[in-house]
Amino acid sequence: MNQDIEKLLEKYYEGETTIEEEKELKRFFQQEHVPAHLMSHAAQFGYFIEARNEYPSLTFGGELSALLDPPKQTPVRRFGSWLLRIAAGLALLIVGFLGGRVFQERSGGGEPLIATKESVSQAEIRNVLAFEKMNSTSASERIHAVNQSYDLSDVDKEITQLLINTLNFDPNINVRLAACQALQRFRNEDDVAESLVPSLAIQTDPNIQIMLIEVLVSIKEKRAVEPFQQLVRNQDVMEVVRLKAQQGVSELTAADV
Amino acid sequence: MVVFVFEMDLQAFNQRILPVQGRLFRLAQMFLRNREEAEDAIQDVLLRLWTNRQQLESYHSIEALAVQMTKNLCLDRLKSHHKQKMQNDADVTSVQAAELSPHRQLENSDSASLIHKLIGELPEQHKLVLHLRDVEEYSFEEIEQVTGLNNANIRTVLSRARQKLRENYLKANNYESGY
Repeated sequence: MNQDIEKLLEKYYEGETTIEEEKELKRFFQQEHVPAHLMSHAAQFGYFIEARNEYPSLTFGGELSALLDPPKQTPVRRFGSWLLRIAAGLALLIVGFLGGRVFQERSGGGEPLIATKESVSQAEIRNVLAFEKMNSTSASERIHAVNQSYDLSDVDKEITQLLINTLNFDPNINVRLAACQALQRFRNEDDVAESLVPSLAIQTDPNIQIMLIEVLVSIKEKRAVEPFQQLVRNQDVMEVVRLKAQQGVSELTAADV
Repeated sequence: MVVFVFEMDLQAFNQRILPVQGRLFRLAQMFLRNREEAEDAIQDVLLRLWTNRQQLESYHSIEALAVQMTKNLCLDRLKSHHKQKMQNDADVTSVQAAELSPHRQLENSDSASLIHKLIGELPEQHKLVLHLRDVEEYSFEEIEQVTGLNNANIRTVLSRARQKLRENYLKANNYESGY
């Protein structure tokens, strides 16, 4: 046996052994009792076997798959640490607190608040009544927008023009009525009276015709006389409206006298 | 859909690479002589393989490629921090057969770490061939694939490496004569 081993060793150092023979050598030097004169060969074979049993640590596989498959792993891991979570929570709190304070400071003085509220509702009215949006908003939304104009202390041309457009072209009669009522409030604005007169020719609904006549009479709009007379002559117009127009004509001309 | 394909891909990759992982690790540990650095190095190698997975099919042996990459990467790293000589020679954890007596175990683990150190002192080519043959039990064909050396050259390198290792071991232990 030992002679075989000695021969194998010789072959081994010449680089001529097969894998099988090398395995035999490893087995031989793994035994408890290795002959003394061969003992000096034992160390390397012991090392070879030992080194073969080395593996990456258990956590390595996990780390690796996290590295190779990042899309699922990284978003979760990024907020993994407790410290980060606490820091994020604190940051949110501070932002909220500061935001609250800034908001309070801004709304501290009363007037600016109203100004902002008013500009907000003006924008809202514009938004809802805009001509191109008529098909996407509901009638009640538009009435609400028209009624919001009552809150405005001061109106600009744009709003009155919007209301006039609504009065003339809104498909819903109730919205047109509301617009008419709202315009009554702004009758002292220059354009309002002017544009109410041609509107008479456009309107076909008796309710609105009557209301328009009333408004025009109340502002003593002389330019309305001519369209009033046209209404009176028009056989298609309802009897009540023609009567009302007749009254209007006499009232306006009477005031003139 | 994309994720599904991706996962299948990763699974296939793992199936081919996982069995080799231990080998790559041992090789890296042999060169770098440090567990953490070895893990770091093979992580790098596996990541590179993964990134280039489309080209892997064209290689004859992925294992040979991975071994080559590991060797090159380790040598690069050794060059780059040549100054910090590894003090962690005693890093080899001793996994020993249980039936050995405590005395033999101690002796073995001492001599094993000495062998480990002495292998580290061999020329690069020599330690690579010695490691692949005597630790990993590679056939000559497999060593050929990794090193590009022909059969005769491999035997010569192997023989020299074994003899040199023995010589240095005897010197270190003050044995009187050769084998």
